[in-house]
Amino acid sequence: MTDMQAKTPLILALPKGRILKALRPVLHHTGFEPAQDCLDESSRRLRFPTSSPGLDVVRVRSFDVATFVAYGGADIGVCGADVLLEFDYPDLYAPLDLGIGGCRIAVARPKGSGDGEPPEGRSRLRVATKYPAIARRHFASRAINAEIVHLHGAMELAPALDMADVIVDLVDTGSTLRANGLEEVETIAHVTSRLIVNRIALKTRPEEVGSLIERFRSAVAQSVQKGESV
Amino acid sequence: MINGLETSSPALLPMGFVDLLPAEAEAEARGLAEVMEVFSCHGYERVRPPLLEFEGSLLSGAGEALAEQSFRLLDPSSHRMMALRPDMTTQIARIAAVRMQDCPRPLRLSYAGDCVVIGTLGREGQRQIAQAGIELIGPDRAEADAEVIALGAEALARLGIANVSFDLSMPVMVWSLIDGSFSGIERESIIHALDRRDASAVREHGGAWAELLLGMMEAVGPASAALEKLEKLAFPDMLRPHVERLEADVVAILARLPGARLTVDPVDFRGWRYHTGVCITVFAMHSREELGRGGRYLAGDEPACGLTLNPHAFLRVAEKPKRRKRCLVPSIMAVEDLSSLHEAGYATIASLGESGDMEQEAHHLRCSHIWKDGKPVALAR
Repeated sequence: MTDMQAKTPLILALPKGRILKALRPVLHHTGFEPAQDCLDESSRRLRFPTSSPGLDVVRVRSFDVATFVAYGGADIGVCGADVLLEFDYPDLYAPLDLGIGGCRIAVARPKGSGDGEPPEGRSRLRVATKYPAIARRHFASRAINAEIVHLHGAMELAPALDMADVIVDLVDTGSTLRANGLEEVETIAHVTSRLIVNRIALKTRPEEVGSLIERFRSAVAQSVQKGESV
Repeated sequence: MINGLETSSPALLPMGFVDLLPAEAEAEARGLAEVMEVFSCHGYERVRPPLLEFEGSLLSGAGEALAEQSFRLLDPSSHRMMALRPDMTTQIARIAAVRMQDCPRPLRLSYAGDCVVIGTLGREGQRQIAQAGIELIGPDRAEADAEVIALGAEALARLGIANVSFDLSMPVMVWSLIDGSFSGIERESIIHALDRRDASAVREHGGAWAELLLGMMEAVGPASAALEKLEKLAFPDMLRPHVERLEADVVAILARLPGARLTVDPVDFRGWRYHTGVCITVFAMHSREELGRGGRYLAGDEPACGLTLNPHAFLRVAEKPKRRKRCLVPSIMAVEDLSSLHEAGYATIASLGESGDMEQEAHHLRCSHIWKDGKPVALAR
């Protein structure tokens, strides 16, 4: 029994990009040193060993972290709460808020459009977004059937090019919105990065997964203490 | 070729329904037979409720929880609405309460059959699901809970499934905290937050119970450590008995099944909502699915505890049964010779005389052996 456990390392899925950068100090405090090229985005490798033989890292797109962990390809992962909201996988647990990568999901529209009237004034609305599920749910709760224009980037262009009335997107400082003549009208949710865990992994390997969560928990505390996190 | 006008094949099955081919279908039948044999050996008598019932009977009482997963159809003769069962436990409860109300308790019943669930929009899963289970009706004791788990463990061990673990939960604790203090959108938010173990959302939506709920969320894992943490939490008096029952269950299970792998998750409330006490979810190290579910509920107004195994899930991690060797035999053959081959584990394939060359026919029909000179002879590959 313990033999089998020792043979298959747990797999930690990390997102490329913005969150990975913010995660570095926390990762450092966990004491798991991933292979040199793991944090180097130019590396072509996708799977990396760490200083612990019981843990491997895979590096995937931030939108895919939730899917890798939900399907059990990875046992544990780090991803933004926006991705969790969008996919809402029942097999994902989010036991720890890492407090990094803070931003928000917001509705934005061209400056001065609608003469101050809220988008709720209409019963249908065309929305450009990379979060179709979040946008649909949000507007449905306001009795609006959102017509979704699903884009993977550059949604800020959509209102100006007459593809959509509003956009729903991740907003950090808001400078991209301003640069494209958009204004934020509503915040749907505040977002930070979470440590996520596959439910079945937590049930079948409770000791290992539990101690991993605890290591991240104390790493976050150390990182906050040293003032590394925003 | 990708073609926007491509039409689906007429052989396409509805989402969630599959054909099982010989190897799988046989493995399923044999696996089910093994499991049912274990239940039968322990005095659980088999019953077989129908596939369809009137909506009013299937979905009333404890069955109310099944309503949103049930396919319905109209009975053309009575013009009443019928529902296809998505779960069998409530049917067994009905049998116990109505047809077998005079049988002495504890009443031990077993069952196996297929159910059909609607599933979750956007997630393609099986919609025809097999169930094999037991219900122990009458006693409300930790020993009864332990018996149900011990039988589940024995059945899975019979199939060669290693590292099985049982996750114990007490959904009534969570529901009574929620039902007493939350309503409307607040209620939905806290339920969702708890279901996804989203610590920061529980802190946000948990109100007065946030600390307790977070404490419960952390008291998860191997049974002894989890119970130790649970002990230290400030539960309201009405919930204390549930914590004590959970502890008693762990003691009773370990007494009956020393070395059982038990975990506790006091926040888990998945599954049908008819449960009134301890709930059990069965896992195995090498499976990414739940192998079974069960727990305590009311059969009519009698306490009952059951466990339903999911054959599709457990057969994926069970030892594969050896396939029978196939022996080509003449169509006319002594009965004793045939039965001796069957006893030795062969499947006999009768040659109907269509081909002159027996050996060629044997290869053609995927036979490994051929009947020659009064004995089975292995074919050269």
